[in-house]
This record gives sequence, structure tokens and C-alpha cells, in this order.
Amino acid sequence: MSAIADRERAKAAAAHTAGNAQTTQRFDAPVVVDESRCITGCHICIDSCPVDCLAVNLATRKAHMKFDECWYCLACEIDCPKDAITVKIPFLIR
Amino acid sequence: MVVVGGGSAGSTAAIRAQEALPQGRVLLLEKAHVKRSGAIAIGMDGLNNAVIPGHATPEQYVKEITMANDGIVNQRAVLAYARRSFAMIQKLDGWGVKFQKTRSGDFDVKKVHHNGNYVLPMPEGYDLKKILTRMIRRAGVRVSNRVMATRLLTDADGRVAGVLGLNVRDGSFEVIRARAVILCCGASGRLGLPASGYLYGTYENPSNAGDGYSLAYHAGAELTGIECFQINPLIKDYNGPACAYVTGPFGGHTVNARGHRFIESDYWSGQMMLEFYRELQSASGPVYLKLTHLAPETRTEIENVLHRTERPSRGRFHAGRGHDYADDMVEMHISEIGLCSGHSGSGVWVDEHGRTTVAGLYAAGDMACVPHNYLLGAMTYGEICAESALADLGGALPARSPGAEATSDEREQIAREQARVYAPLARPDGIPHQQIEYKVRRFVNDYLQPPKTATRMEIGLAHFLRAHDDLEQAGAREPHDLMRLVEAGFIRDCAEMAARASLFRRESRWGLYHYRLDYPELDDERWFAHVNLRKGEDGSMQAFTRPVAEYVVPLDERERRSYYDIRVPAAGESPRAGRPAAELPS
Repeated sequence: MSAIADRERAKAAAAHTAGNAQTTQRFDAPVVVDESRCITGCHICIDSCPVDCLAVNLATRKAHMKFDECWYCLACEIDCPKDAITVKIPFLIR
Repeated sequence: MVVVGGGSAGSTAAIRAQEALPQGRVLLLEKAHVKRSGAIAIGMDGLNNAVIPGHATPEQYVKEITMANDGIVNQRAVLAYARRSFAMIQKLDGWGVKFQKTRSGDFDVKKVHHNGNYVLPMPEGYDLKKILTRMIRRAGVRVSNRVMATRLLTDADGRVAGVLGLNVRDGSFEVIRARAVILCCGASGRLGLPASGYLYGTYENPSNAGDGYSLAYHAGAELTGIECFQINPLIKDYNGPACAYVTGPFGGHTVNARGHRFIESDYWSGQMMLEFYRELQSASGPVYLKLTHLAPETRTEIENVLHRTERPSRGRFHAGRGHDYADDMVEMHISEIGLCSGHSGSGVWVDEHGRTTVAGLYAAGDMACVPHNYLLGAMTYGEICAESALADLGGALPARSPGAEATSDEREQIAREQARVYAPLARPDGIPHQQIEYKVRRFVNDYLQPPKTATRMEIGLAHFLRAHDDLEQAGAREPHDLMRLVEAGFIRDCAEMAARASLFRRESRWGLYHYRLDYPELDDERWFAHVNLRKGEDGSMQAFTRPVAEYVVPLDERERRSYYDIRVPAAGESPRAGRPAAELPS
């Protein structure tokens, strides 16, 4: 009994100094960009986003939703001059 | 002069200040981009507190808000707004904002409040922010987009000396010295956790994370009415307004699951929210917005407003669930808590000139306590703050040369803040901001969501204090993460304020907003006072009372109690006029 208690105490202490492990999760992003319409070099939607969740995808040089932090306000969709953006209601909400 | 935040209040503050100062001497800081920032990023569908001659007087309005906020108001501040309300509307009208007018060209005012007529629809209000942005440019205001204030700089005498900020895109640290700072940072809208679990699925623009509450607090300013939470009746899950203010004048209203009306007034007050809460909890719940009984052309007219303005995505939300206004009532719920003087009464303490208790610091909009001040109050107080700051620059505030060397105390504040903001970059594998924020906000729901008890709030408070340690373990990999972590700090500060102010006021008031199960009675004898917070000498948060200033517009006893009388009595029930909501049987 006491051996188990000792081991738990040691592990509880170790948990303070064990450092951080990481994992990744996929998220369904509400902002969908039609890359065939999106203009390379245009930043209009990225400027419009009130929560700064859009950015240029460095691989495709098109806009994309970089952070899953959408207010589904539609600013990006409304302001896009090429109608390249569709905002879906975030999955947890729709 | 620096204006922090380019939403409703910040826009008018900057424009008004720039009219009087040389070019380049007014800087508008915005953490997003002014063209789409703040609560009205996608416009607004109406003014909720228009005081228009022929429809209402400033004195009537002061009475209405005094009643709606259970008597705890600085009437002078409410009156200062009301007297300028119509002039602000005329100015906006001149700027091209489209208000609903009658055929004869008069403003088409509607009744939504319990007593008076104050709602002026803006069915084409979707371009409001564009108009404000155009006026900011035309005035020649210097704008810094994507710069977020993290702390204020103060001088040896406790006066404001500038703003410290983070560029959220490139991560650079900004030091902006100023003689006057107007905070217009919006609500603390990311405080409770939405029931959906989506961190950004809030009623308020999630960029409004309580920045202003925290900035003012750390600069030594008093805050007030923090225990008078913002809790809103919203579309369930979507968490946006069902818009009884828009639909009400067309004949839409709030009903229970039986299709019966249970409140006489859909105006958002704590008393209304308590009735809403009780209906939700009862066998007659949940609660719905009912439009099914309206004519098809009326519903189309409503959709044309609701699906284009303020939260235009609600149409696709309903469509996604296979619902429409013709066949389905819209399910509603009550929101998680927030702090917002635009809707209720929590904010930075300001007088009728927009001055805080710190010299050189002014506050306007949702974060400044002028109860139920809404959009038009924000814009009006933006101007009032600018005028007060201009007057103080000409007299009360010490002269400072823009190029002057920073004092050693200022250099120390700057270095300390820079270290605080950047610390998470040294821990790229530290706890991510999402988890830090989720946890604080989940505890807010568990322990602060009314009805409140001291025991639960004490447990919550212990968690919020522990969150200091969580923030010490937070990790960041890019500037965006730093922004979110600074915000997590603001959210933590607001949670602590909400707990401490609520614990301090040992009575129930404002219906659901401060409904304490352990002190269920309203107690005017002991608690007819403001509860204020400030940072004490030892750095801990202090709560204390401030007397309510003598009314400039007196109310009789019947008027004072009129907001308790909003429940529609069920068949066989006698009306329950004049009794505090907290005493009502559930």
C-alpha cells in the first residue's frame, strides 16, 4: 500500500517537471476559398477579418483560413471582389 | 492623443479630436482593421436608444434607463448622452447613414422599451462601418491597424503617459507616448464559454475580449457594476440576436413552447432575462421567437433586414437546420455571461464627461459604464470623451514634448511589459492559447453563470487566481499566438473582476444579472450604491461602494418598480406589480 502511495507521490512530483508533449488535431474550417477565383496578391479578405484568422497560404499564395477562430460574420465573403469565399457556419454550431 | 479601438466609439472620438488638433497628433489604434472592426463590423439594424424630439425627451429616457438598471445609475452621465442623442443622429444622417423614415420624411421611431419610444430602425444599416471609415479618412486621422494595446504607460503621478502595444502581424512592440488616451475597446465578450463549445461563437465580436477593462484596471482606474453581467436572449447555438427589436415592430414576439407570450416587453433588461430564464427552466420551455403568424411579405421584409445586417449569416444557419420563419419558431436560449455597458451596466467608471478616475484617461462605448448605452451612446460618448480630452490638453494635463526622453520609470514599465508579452515565445511547446482560454471560460460558466452563490464564486475565484500560473506556462510560436495569450490575460482579469464584484454585493439586483440564491432579496437599505473595483496599493483587487449621486430626474416609487411588472400573468394568476423580481415565486 505504501509503495503505491510513494510511487504516486513521485509521479505527481514528476508531473511538474516532465515538460510538454504535443499532438495535432484536424479541424473542419468554416471559411472555404475557391482557389481558382482567388487573386494572388490580393489581401482584401485578410484585411477584412475582424479576428485575423485568414492569411496567405505560402504554398498556393492564395488566401486561406489559418486559424479556426471564425465569428461567421461574413466580412471576408462580402468584401471579396471575386466571390471566391464561402463561409459555412462552424461545424459545432451548425 | 491616442484612441484605442476603432469601432463605434473610437471612430467618432478620433474624428472629433482630429477636427481640433494638427494633422498627425491623433492616432487611432485598431487591433483588426478599421473597415471591419468592433461590434458593428457588419453594420447594425437600428438604434436602440434614439431620443428624438416628438417621440421622447431626454428626461423620459433617463427615467427609463434608471428603471431598467434598478436605480443604480449616474443619471448625469445618462442625461449627457440623451441631450446629445438627436444631434448625433442628425450628424450620422448627414454622413449618409440611412435611417427608416416615414413618408413625410420624419424618423420612423418604434416602441420596444417597457415605457417609451426609442428604437429607430436602419434596415440598410449594413454599410455603417464603411461610412465611419470614410469619415475617419476624410478627417485625416492617422490609423494603425493590427496594433493591439497590451498595457497603458503611466507617469510618476499616476497620469496616463502613453500606450504599449503589440503588432499582431509582425510581432513588433509599439511604444506610443501620449498626453491623453481614450479607451474604446468594446465589451468583454469572450468571458463565458458558448454552449456550443466554439470559443469564437460569441454574441459580441470575439476581438472584444475585455481589453479595455483590463487596460483601465492596470492603469489604476475604477470599474463599476461589474456584477451586473451581460446575459442576452439569443438564437440557440447560433448565439446571435433573434432581434426582437427588429421583429417586434413588425408583430414578432417572444413566446414559450406553448406559443404563449410570457413577457410584455422584449427590451433586454435583467428583469426580462429573469422571466426568460424561469420560462426556459419551466415545463413551458424552451423559449422561441415567433414569426409564423405574420404575413409572407412581412416575413420577407424582416429577412431583408436580418440576413444583411449585423449578423447576416443567421439565414444560412436556419437553412442548414431546415428551418424557416414561415413554418418554424426560432429556438432561443440565454447566453453565457459577458461584461458590457452597452447592454447592461458593467464598465469603467466614467463621469458625464467621459473621464475615468485616472488623469488623461477617458473611456467610451461598451466598456465605459453608462448603462444601456448601445451604439448611439458609444458614438455620442466618443465625441464627449474627445471634447473632454481636448479641454484637458489645453489645461489640466501637463505638457509633454513628443520627442522627450522616457523617464527611468517609464523605461522600466516598457521593459517589464515587453518581457511579459514576449515570454510565451521562449516556450514554443508550452500550453497553447486555445486550451488556456477554454479552461478559464469553462470555469466562468461553471461558477459565475447566475443564479450565483458565494460558495460557487469562491471556488471560481480560486481557479481564476490559479490561471495566473497557467499563463506562466503558455507557449507561443508566432505573433498571432501572442495576441491570443494577451487576450487570455484580459479574460482572466475580467473573470476575477466578475467574481469579486459579485461576491461583494450581498443582495440580488438586476433580475438574472445579479441573482444570488444566498441573498435572494433586493436590499435598497444596504446596497443602493455602486460597487466599484480598483487595483489596491499591494496590487490586489479591491471592492468598495460608491454612493449613487442624487438624481437629476427624480422617479416616484411606482416608476422605480415598473420593470418588475413585465410578466404576462398566466390565466388565473394575479398581476404581480411592484414586487422585486427576486421575490417572485418561480
